[in-house]
Amino acid sequence: MRALDRKLLRDLWNVRSQVLAIALVVASGIALLVMSLGVFGSLSTTREAYYARYAFADVFAGARRVPNRVQEQIEAIPGVEKVQTRVVVGVTLDVEGVAEPVNGRLISIPERGRPVLNDVVLRRGRWLDPDRAEEALVSERFAEAHGLQLGDRVAAVINGRRQPLEVVGIALSPEFIYNIGPGEFFPDPLHFGLLWMSRRHLATAFEMEGGFNDVALALTGASASTERAVITELDRILDAYGGLGAIPRSEQLSHWYLQNELTQLQNMAFIVPMIFLGVAAFLLNVVLRRTIAVQREQIAALKALGYSNARLGLHYVQWAVAVVTLGSLIGIVAGLLLANGMLGFYMEYFRFPFLTYEVSVPSILIAIVVSLAAAALGAMGAVRSVASLPPAEAMRPAAPESFRVSLFERLGAGRWLTQPARMVLRNLSRRPLRAALSIVGISFAGAIMVVGSAMMDSMDELLEVQFNIIQRQDLSVSFFEPVERSAVHELAALSGVMQVEPTSGVAARLRNGHLQKQTAIQALAPDARLRRVVDVDYRAIQLDRPGLVLSTLLAEQLQVEAGDTLVVEVMEAARPVREVVLTDTVDDLLGVAAYMEEESLRRLVRRDDTISGAMLKIDSQAEERLFGLLKAMPAVAGVTLRSAALKNIRTYMLDNMSMVMGVNLLFAVIIAFGVIYNTARISLSETSRELASLRVIGFTRAEISSILLGELALLTLASIPLGLLLGYGMIAGAMSAFESELFRLPVVVEANTFLVSAATVLGSMAISAWTVRRKLHDLDLVAVLKTRE
Amino acid sequence: MNVAVTTRAPTSPAHPAPVFAMRGVTKVYSMGEVQVHALRGVDLDLHEGEFTVLLGPSGSGKSTLLNILGGLDAATAGRVTYRGGDLSEAGERALTRYRRRHVGFVFQFYNLIPSLTAHENVALVTEIAHDPLTPEEALALVGLEHRLDHFPSQMSGGEQQRVAIARAIAKRPDVLLCDEPTGALDISTGIAVLEAIGKVNVDLGTTTAVITHNAAISAMADRVISLADGQIANDVRNGAKLPASAIEW
Repeated sequence: MRALDRKLLRDLWNVRSQVLAIALVVASGIALLVMSLGVFGSLSTTREAYYARYAFADVFAGARRVPNRVQEQIEAIPGVEKVQTRVVVGVTLDVEGVAEPVNGRLISIPERGRPVLNDVVLRRGRWLDPDRAEEALVSERFAEAHGLQLGDRVAAVINGRRQPLEVVGIALSPEFIYNIGPGEFFPDPLHFGLLWMSRRHLATAFEMEGGFNDVALALTGASASTERAVITELDRILDAYGGLGAIPRSEQLSHWYLQNELTQLQNMAFIVPMIFLGVAAFLLNVVLRRTIAVQREQIAALKALGYSNARLGLHYVQWAVAVVTLGSLIGIVAGLLLANGMLGFYMEYFRFPFLTYEVSVPSILIAIVVSLAAAALGAMGAVRSVASLPPAEAMRPAAPESFRVSLFERLGAGRWLTQPARMVLRNLSRRPLRAALSIVGISFAGAIMVVGSAMMDSMDELLEVQFNIIQRQDLSVSFFEPVERSAVHELAALSGVMQVEPTSGVAARLRNGHLQKQTAIQALAPDARLRRVVDVDYRAIQLDRPGLVLSTLLAEQLQVEAGDTLVVEVMEAARPVREVVLTDTVDDLLGVAAYMEEESLRRLVRRDDTISGAMLKIDSQAEERLFGLLKAMPAVAGVTLRSAALKNIRTYMLDNMSMVMGVNLLFAVIIAFGVIYNTARISLSETSRELASLRVIGFTRAEISSILLGELALLTLASIPLGLLLGYGMIAGAMSAFESELFRLPVVVEANTFLVSAATVLGSMAISAWTVRRKLHDLDLVAVLKTRE
Repeated sequence: MNVAVTTRAPTSPAHPAPVFAMRGVTKVYSMGEVQVHALRGVDLDLHEGEFTVLLGPSGSGKSTLLNILGGLDAATAGRVTYRGGDLSEAGERALTRYRRRHVGFVFQFYNLIPSLTAHENVALVTEIAHDPLTPEEALALVGLEHRLDHFPSQMSGGEQQRVAIARAIAKRPDVLLCDEPTGALDISTGIAVLEAIGKVNVDLGTTTAVITHNAAISAMADRVISLADGQIANDVRNGAKLPASAIEW
């Protein structure tokens, strides 16, 4: 090894705690990057492999009842490669030991052979015996949630009749990687499950013999035009059979959720790591500049020995590169570990039969190159100062720094300042840029904490609004078929029911020119109290005008504003196509929707006064008995409990967020410590002679500590409000970036969040101060005064 | 190699060709907000193998003179040649090359790299020099063959200065420039350092210039030049050259 390289290693070793602090900041950025890319890569690759191996379809459509012969017509559509017809029905389930209503979806699989599309993965047990009507395969998470074993029984309430089903196998499907029940926003395996039954038996139970109500297609090519053409043709064919509108894979629920999650991961992969690398570059710059200032005589001697500017510049660039390389290595290892943890978490919510680890090596290389670039950037200015250092001049001690009376003092406040306080202020105002950058650096730590906690605050707000202001029912009931409005009275008559409001809606396609969206239009009564539409200030909007109300996001997607006209293609009854005026938009938080006043909707659809479900407010004392009665009602296809949904969301948040919060806390502390500790060490090395002189003339350790730590405290305190502001900005940015049809988080930051953020930063400062103070105590007065620097 | 024209009567009976020739050299630099006139029109020739002592009080300009000769600093005005080559016109690269090939420096405060051992400090030079001594040979020449693996902080001032000399001479320089080499040392260690410098001058025939404000050292020189206020005040030959061990102060 060359002597200069040895010098490099030993210099680094001498400032190892600073090196480590910076390396950890780099590591945080790289770890986040590697984690996001690792999870993204693994999930994408796994998903693709899963889709391919188990023949996930390209186009999906539902209808009321289609005769089997129509299958040939569908197969004949140009561009269609494979067709799988099925019977799919929503039912309520009776699981032993569970009083609450549980919803299920029964899906047919062929008598012989495996499904051509949307194949099923058998995890345990055996395939169905086509001769036995009472057998079913059960989805894995549902089985786990209820502790169902092979041979256990579940009862499906089919047309009011309890049909016992024996669990013969546990299964997964690429169609339900992310599996949510109707009207839900998060997977709730306790209250929603999938059951696969033999086609013949399922068809018999639902009077679907000789027909199907669900069809999936695989296309020959992946072109968007083929897809559009096939969907148009399929809709045309199914029109006569109550077709509900075909959707491409991109709109399939499970796929769409998964895709959303992947996109978020991808976004996260770059933005946040860049912040960390930026802070690291700044720290490298400050520390290197200081190192070079301390080593000016060494540099001069090396120049005198004949070392060139380029070689010495390289020496200090290597310094930065070494720190970043160390950080990258730690970051890669930590990132892979984090990715593993995250994948474990994702595997709970997204079920795959297998997991293909895929960390894109080029991406990691890019990460390293980017961080090296950050290092070079950090080293650049410092290294330039090496080149411009004339060797002879470097031999002489540096001229005393030019100090000025600080602005604060010039304003007349100086007379109250003690001498040490003056030193603090003048030290800071001598290098205003560095002080500013330190403040910005520390404020990032506070901001990261704000972002982490504010996610929780926003989620709480969302739940509060959604479940206390918008949806105020205790449970909602859905029917197999639209029923007479009089059903409301029947429900109201059940003991324990305090209030009933009907729900109804129609499947429809909204069109504005070439833009279109498949959705359901919900009917709302003008005086609705349980399900309401609210404005920005969460005040209920009276739906008393004919016309459509859309979620803002939906309106944006269709590029319409209040006052514009939309084409509504109703997918039910007489399938009328009408022009309807958009009267208003509402800022829905959960999901996107279309609403109409119920009377206007009925006129639009031109159908009888039927309802598709009801919302109930109930007496919690009568809950259990009421569940039993509802399950036994033949018309009831599903019952959703608000309390269960809320509990499920909270569990999900707690799982997900507590991990994110933990990681954020770690990163915030690293960044705060990295900046504060380095600032402190640099101040110490710059002022150690002054401080030693003060000790010699009789200042106590506590007094000189207060000079050094006072500077730190000032920087940290200044950073706190900035951090809070920055955090608020970042959370607002993140919320609008994360905004999706799934949910839109309101930007809410509780006072508590600000306190936690400030406390974290102050805590990091305390740790840094304590570490540096020990160094101050070890200050060798004589030695410090003897050395020339 | 062409010989620079000399305007001053040569003091050496052998009339050797000058290694360095300075003509009308002036140096002004700013120290903080103050302008300092370090040299005010100096004319000077230094000859092959000569041991020259430059005497003068603080601020007389002797360090500046040495730095300009060593290519560490550039003159504000005037001309400096080394073996006929013009140093005052040379760029940063040429000066670096010049220092690397021809010049050995010894500084008052040693300027060793604290994170490198004696051996490694010398290796800094041998690694980039053409046909150098080995670090072991160089350190043996200054009597430090037993201190190879010691760090600067583990050695006395005199030992550190001898490492600095070993580092300076390891490249077999044509000239050895020493700036107050004994300034920070007591008598006995100072003598040891001077012996090492004298030995190099005699054994390797290296042209040597030593700056000092200690007049006693001039006893071991071939030539003694005094500076005052940025100008040469006196320039004499020393007829009775003594070995370093005989010097007292």
